[in-house]
Amino acid sequence: MSYREKENIVNIFSGLLITAIFGWIVYQRHLEGRFDLTEDFSKWGVIFLIFIGVSIVVRIIIYIIFHIINAIATRGEDIPIEDERDKLIKLKAIRNSHYVFSGGFVLSIVALAFGMPVYWIFIVFIISGLLSEIIDNGSQIYYYRKGV
Amino acid sequence: MVKRNIQNNIRRLRFNADEMTQQKLADEVGASRQTIVAIEKGNYSPSLELAFRIAHTFKIPLEEVFIYEHVELPKKK
Repeated sequence: MSYREKENIVNIFSGLLITAIFGWIVYQRHLEGRFDLTEDFSKWGVIFLIFIGVSIVVRIIIYIIFHIINAIATRGEDIPIEDERDKLIKLKAIRNSHYVFSGGFVLSIVALAFGMPVYWIFIVFIISGLLSEIIDNGSQIYYYRKGV
Repeated sequence: MVKRNIQNNIRRLRFNADEMTQQKLADEVGASRQTIVAIEKGNYSPSLELAFRIAHTFKIPLEEVFIYEHVELPKKK
């Protein structure tokens, strides 16, 4: 398995892990009554901002751990340079992930039009954000294996 | 599976160039080893610039590295 494929797998699992843990913590606080996510929409804004910050920090930590483990496993093999093929694969993967995220956005608007509560928009945003990241990294793995 | 019309002789050329490694060729042309592997297998068609760089490395014309098999495109109705 190439370095890029390993990197994509780590990205998928770190995205799943961070979203699951953060979502669980927020949901527990909501159940405890610390805030009401069905009514207090400004809280959603705060939660999203905290999520972005936490996500960046945790990803950096996971990346450092990944690089250390990879360096040990491959006995210090150099990280491959990003060339034109990597860029093309990244572009195609980003296109796929944008389709998914846009689909989520449209879905949330449709749900709103059909009378679903407003907080559903935020939940669909989180889910489509996570799905788009999985599609992004999954597409990259696919293109690396099957060709582009 | 994508049908590709561009074949290449890179494996043979590397062999003739004193069994040049994929990594050495990759370093020479400024690409990753994985990209050279993909080109050799026919899973990736390189850009014109990279194709010229590969040809330049072996000091031969481009058409001796890459072979294009022309296939008629289906006509639009």
